[in-house]
Amino acid sequence: MKENIETKQFRKFATIVLSVISVLALLPILLIAVASVTSEDVLISSGYTFFPSKLSLDSYYYMVRQSATILRAYGISIMVTFLGTVIGVLVTAMLAYPMARKNFRLRNVMAFFIFFTMLFNGGIVSSYIMWSQIFHIKNTIWALVVPNFLVTAFNVFLVRNYYVNSVHESIIESVQIDGASEIRIFFSIMLPLSIPVIATVSLFTGIIYWNDWINGLYYITDPKMYGIQNLLIRIMDNIQFLKSASNAALLGTQNIDLPGTSVRMAMAIIGILPILIIFPFVQQYMIKGVVLGAVKG
Amino acid sequence: MKVFKTLFLVLAIVAGMVLAACGTPDSTASDTTSADGKTQTETVSYDKVVYAYATFNNTPTEEALAEVEEAINVITREKIGVEVELMPIAIWDYSSQVSLALQGGEKIDVFQSLGDLNTAISTSMCLDITDMMGENAAESQELIGDDWLAATSFEGRIYGLPTYKPIALTPMFVYRQDIADELGLDMSKVNSTSDLTSILEQVKAAYPDMTPLAAVNTGNIGLGLTVENVDYLTDNYYEPKGVLMNDELTVVDYYASDEFADLCSLARTWYTNDLVMKDAATTSSTAAELMSAGNYFGYIASYSYPEEDTAASLEAQCGGYDLGAKMIGSAFLDTTAINALTWMISSTSDVPESALKFLNMTFTDEEVCNLIIYGIEGRDYVQNGDGTVSYPEGLDPATVPYTSQLSCGTLGNFFIMYPMGGTNVESLAWELEQNKNAKTSVAMGFTFDNSNVKTEYTAVTNVISQFLPGLICGSIDPETEIPVFLERLDEAGLGTIIAEKQTQLDAWVASNK
Amino acid sequence: MKKKKEKIEKKSKLVKTWPLLLISLPGLIYIFVNSYIPMFGVFLAFKDYNYVKGIFGSDWSGFDNFRFLFKTRDAWIMTRNTVLYNVAFIIIGTVIAIFVAILLFEMGKKLRVKFFQSAILLPNMLSWVVIGYVVYAFLNADSGFINNSILKPLGMEEISWYSNIKPWPFILIIVHIWKYMGVNSIIYMASIAGIDKGIFEAAELDGASKTMQIFRITIPMLKPTIIILTLMAIGRIFFSDFGLFYQVPQNSGRLFDVTQTIDTYVYRGLMQLNDVGMSAAAALFQSFVGFILVVSANALVRKIDSENALF
Repeated sequence: MKENIETKQFRKFATIVLSVISVLALLPILLIAVASVTSEDVLISSGYTFFPSKLSLDSYYYMVRQSATILRAYGISIMVTFLGTVIGVLVTAMLAYPMARKNFRLRNVMAFFIFFTMLFNGGIVSSYIMWSQIFHIKNTIWALVVPNFLVTAFNVFLVRNYYVNSVHESIIESVQIDGASEIRIFFSIMLPLSIPVIATVSLFTGIIYWNDWINGLYYITDPKMYGIQNLLIRIMDNIQFLKSASNAALLGTQNIDLPGTSVRMAMAIIGILPILIIFPFVQQYMIKGVVLGAVKG
Repeated sequence: MKVFKTLFLVLAIVAGMVLAACGTPDSTASDTTSADGKTQTETVSYDKVVYAYATFNNTPTEEALAEVEEAINVITREKIGVEVELMPIAIWDYSSQVSLALQGGEKIDVFQSLGDLNTAISTSMCLDITDMMGENAAESQELIGDDWLAATSFEGRIYGLPTYKPIALTPMFVYRQDIADELGLDMSKVNSTSDLTSILEQVKAAYPDMTPLAAVNTGNIGLGLTVENVDYLTDNYYEPKGVLMNDELTVVDYYASDEFADLCSLARTWYTNDLVMKDAATTSSTAAELMSAGNYFGYIASYSYPEEDTAASLEAQCGGYDLGAKMIGSAFLDTTAINALTWMISSTSDVPESALKFLNMTFTDEEVCNLIIYGIEGRDYVQNGDGTVSYPEGLDPATVPYTSQLSCGTLGNFFIMYPMGGTNVESLAWELEQNKNAKTSVAMGFTFDNSNVKTEYTAVTNVISQFLPGLICGSIDPETEIPVFLERLDEAGLGTIIAEKQTQLDAWVASNK
Repeated sequence: MKKKKEKIEKKSKLVKTWPLLLISLPGLIYIFVNSYIPMFGVFLAFKDYNYVKGIFGSDWSGFDNFRFLFKTRDAWIMTRNTVLYNVAFIIIGTVIAIFVAILLFEMGKKLRVKFFQSAILLPNMLSWVVIGYVVYAFLNADSGFINNSILKPLGMEEISWYSNIKPWPFILIIVHIWKYMGVNSIIYMASIAGIDKGIFEAAELDGASKTMQIFRITIPMLKPTIIILTLMAIGRIFFSDFGLFYQVPQNSGRLFDVTQTIDTYVYRGLMQLNDVGMSAAAALFQSFVGFILVVSANALVRKIDSENALF
């Protein structure tokens, strides 16, 4: 009984602290949201506030006029995120698992082989040459999925760390005696046992793919294949570029009419909106996974 | 377990798709070969020229672009036996994309500089076109003139064609006409930046809540370019490192000059008297945005149009207020003014002569030039009947299939492009005149090759970005900070850069006299 | 008998290599293609790049491309800033992430957990450019939220944030935590989920209080994860989050003493030069130092606790 009371108190404490942290995390985002519906001139003359004196939906009208483009970009981003996450996470787990086996001879060699890529890379030029000249992936959906992010050393080590510390070797040994093949062991036992970390890595991979604009920048030239971040970053960075004093003078572009601040805020909101809608569903699995993993471990 | 079976199934499907997709490039490759085959059966084969240009507008889809290309090809096939592929690249990433493509062995035949012609020359990015000019670009050569071509030359060899447009930028003060009228300010007496002080003070006195002077953009309140008669010797306008002043051929440290000290102390006075925006050094808003908000009186910037036209063209984006503009200095041309936007033939081009022929057409052929800027008549723009054009009814730059209207000042020949509806056609003549009459630097045509002092350049650039914005926006005190600034510049190796510039300049003078 | 057993073990080890290698093959191939084939780009760091001659044909320039990283009085400042901020991020970030993870985990399956988790994860979805705007919205001198809505009503003097060095180390650390707290805490949450529940039950039977369980069981059990994350962070200790140090302080020159990092220095210095060799050299230098550090740190971990070493 005593433990229960303590647990309850602890939960109360946790709820309070987490509420404060959540509010602190959300306030700036709320400020962006409010700014996106604040009238442009108020935004400039009296700054950002949570209670603007004049509201305006102009920035969203600006977006609606380009809704076809935006919706298509959403579609591309969702597809890329889905493909990247499913393939990436599976390959990552398959790569991490053998390294977690204590009597696997190559475990350290492999670990070093993978870790090395976390630090050293040949730079964008050589990758670009390879992907575009040898693999010809420019302007295909694979250009957004395959380069750079599919398997990252960071995720591999996260998964390996989980196998090493949370899954007992004895489980494997007992199955091995039954004569199960390594591949079966991995898919039918190890993979389900690692749901918490798989869920984590899926989330990370998903976020990386959703936020990525690098691949789009280098390997996509047809705007029909732009993901949402490419669409947004293009507008944002054009503005950023033109704002730099030297560039503006150089090009004689000081009188180009740039999208205003509230439009930029609206773009930021549009970039995270689908996440707000999709995330709770993903989370369902994550929390389930966390609880499930805890019971089995 | 069920989850994993489904997952596995999904993976199998995905794997199938990967294989299928890996097949696609081949099929597209065969498509292109068949297309080539087709052109061959037509007995004439055309050289293919890839034209990479920077665009501020939305990137068009491939279909929209293809129509524009085809419309251009109809002209170029006949006239110069060339087919063109347009490659619009977003401005902010233009330089690195072109550099990447050229390193990656991709085909780009014609590209432009964005203030970095000297780098393009020193790394052999562009081709020496001196000997091809006569045969392939004679009309452009005549149009642009040898004086301007000197600015795109290095050691006597021509490396590119400068964009032909109004380049004589005159510093102006753009202000709220309604307020000036109300307070009875006599703007005609304002002829220099120091004359502005009393005007700004009067505005401040009448409207205490108003900030009289807005920033043009981050770290710039427009004062930088108002110092007259300075040749930046092909350095970035806002980060000069060793300049020529007052028609002398001696390279000097701009930041140690009296002119610079006066400028900073003027900015400081404005800053301490609340005449200028406090956050100018770091603001994230541009002058137009600030003006629209209604609580700024004016800003200083350089424009190439006459006063009235400048004011009129800015009104819409400055919140619709009635604006006026007053020149507070005179235009000055140095090498950078001309070669900042230079069109070059890439050193990896397999058809340099055809590429140059096409480049020539962007300067001389009205149709080709306007196709690149406005796209297809009827679909992307309509003629207004008075020589000007507009977007089709109900469409705007963001929704037409193709436009790169905002690039009008960066490519080809500005004077043969259709003006947008609402612009004063007559001012073009004035602008052409300005190009010819503006005061020209004594070292016009000299291009500095910085490859020997790259290390010093990086260090000096960092020092400049640390001090300059604060100094010219008045937010730091020049009395105490300029000496520190100069000391740091010296440590970073500004002396070495100046000496190198002097050596190259002397050699240039010797060979040009 | 003993010998025979050893033999069998040895045999089983050998047999095991192939199926396991087969499982990891797709990943290994991907890593090889994606990361190792393009490694030839490293040559650029030692070349005076020329477009006609290409990567392999360009002239060798020895260590010339590296000089700009050292020939400046900023060398010390930027190195110090890069390293110190990373150390701060590693320490503070880890503590906060674990704290939040424990709180989230102890909440159990409640609906609230979902809300909290989404809330703290959301900042990670914003790009640095946008975060730069947000910070500016709070701090700018003319119309910023803090000056306008907090300091002014309280009758306090307004602060010119972008020219005032002192608060910036804190601001940058806070912004960094704000952005990464959610993501990092999720890693630890998964690790806590992997702890054998039996241990907690046993402790509870022994009458251990919740706080005791946290300090005696949860945190010690997280040690492997902490070690692995720290080791990986050490490898990146000479790299900095460019956007955090460039966009967030609005490139303000007054703040360079506390905001200049190796990446911002390289970016500013090469903006006009656009020199591929020099940027390759900078990246190689950063990687190399990180590599040395992480190999040493890893050797140390191996000595103490070989289970948890990276390799």
